[in-house]
Amino acid sequence: MNSEELIRRLAASAKPVRRLPHPIWRAMMWFMLSLAYAAGLVFVIGLRADFSVRIAEPRFLVELSAAILTSMMAASAAFCSTCPGRPLWERLAPFPFLLVWLASLGEGCWRDWTLHGFQGLAIQQEFSCFWKIVATSAAPLVLILVMVRRGAPIAPYLTTGLATLAAASLVAAGMLLFHQQESSVMVLVWQFGSVLVLSGLAALFGRHVLYWRTVDMRSLDNQTTPHC
Amino acid sequence: MSTPRDDRARLEREERWRQLMRAAQDGDNAAYAALLSEILPVLRRFVAYRWPSAPDVEDIVQEVLLSVHTVRHTYDPARPFMPWLMTIAMRRTIDAARRRTARSANETTVDIMPETFSGDDAKNEQEISDDQEAIRRALAQLPDGQRQAVELMKVKGLSLLEASAVTGKSVASLKVSVHRGLKTMREVLKRETQ
Repeated sequence: MNSEELIRRLAASAKPVRRLPHPIWRAMMWFMLSLAYAAGLVFVIGLRADFSVRIAEPRFLVELSAAILTSMMAASAAFCSTCPGRPLWERLAPFPFLLVWLASLGEGCWRDWTLHGFQGLAIQQEFSCFWKIVATSAAPLVLILVMVRRGAPIAPYLTTGLATLAAASLVAAGMLLFHQQESSVMVLVWQFGSVLVLSGLAALFGRHVLYWRTVDMRSLDNQTTPHC
Repeated sequence: MSTPRDDRARLEREERWRQLMRAAQDGDNAAYAALLSEILPVLRRFVAYRWPSAPDVEDIVQEVLLSVHTVRHTYDPARPFMPWLMTIAMRRTIDAARRRTARSANETTVDIMPETFSGDDAKNEQEISDDQEAIRRALAQLPDGQRQAVELMKVKGLSLLEASAVTGKSVASLKVSVHRGLKTMREVLKRETQ
């Protein structure tokens, strides 16, 4: 089939399409739904025993805010990355907040080091933390992946990585409220580390999650065509 | 170097395409046909420029057109049209180049094709006929979907995209069907020869 014939068939069968809402609006929609889910988790599991003490610490507030903002920005970046022609800097939006999160944990590690020496930086094995993040982030992750699949798969690896970062960092923020960790280095390794590892692993499967849909040529003949 | 007149013409074209795309999204088929026809030469030039040695420019251009069609709902009329189009064109050209590289990694270029001579009587007519009959029997034993995929791609020599267009199945599904079909045929033929 030559290109002119293809154009004729595409144009003849094209139906009106519903434009994708603005990526920020879609990100907010996902964030509100996922926030409700995370709040539900905290409600079911209950706040950590030392919550009233920790919430008064500025460093804890910075850590919590940075995790939540990383999630918001990563979701926005993931949705932006499925809209062709948008500026590339939008995809980098979550990284400053990720750095603030890392810096707050680093500051905590430094404080533990000055107070307790090497003992303050002792790392115990706590793989359950990783699995908890995997299990609890599954629902918001599935939701965001379903939502980003409506866009164009122009950067599948990055989009999938950012989407996972959004879901995992929101759950990690929730865990700060109900899961008590002994030291900052444990949070750094088992929570922050899990978020990064999960995002990296998910990004590897980007092409399997987001791919270009094929057009059913028979449907073009029948004057009906899927558009998303 | 672009002159003010070129710039003005470019701006007018951009505005026109933006309006055409907005109308196409709202279901105006004539506007959609006009838009696709107008972007066709631009896409041809773009693909040829980005990948000068591309063996199949027209195939890539058609892939871009199909991609534009499937994701036309992602265009925001408040934003410029050309960056949206060029991002898709660039992505699909890179995808095609990557596929080509992956395929050529499994191919060997030879100056002279090896020949077989029927005069050597390696197989007489009866044996050739027997082979064809055995293949026909093996093919007949496949489920409908697998048989259709094997016939289209291995007998008629259609590409994955062409077979996908004919059957309406996805490329991934066709790959699986052909793989399973050939595997089953191989087992059937092996059983027959034993």
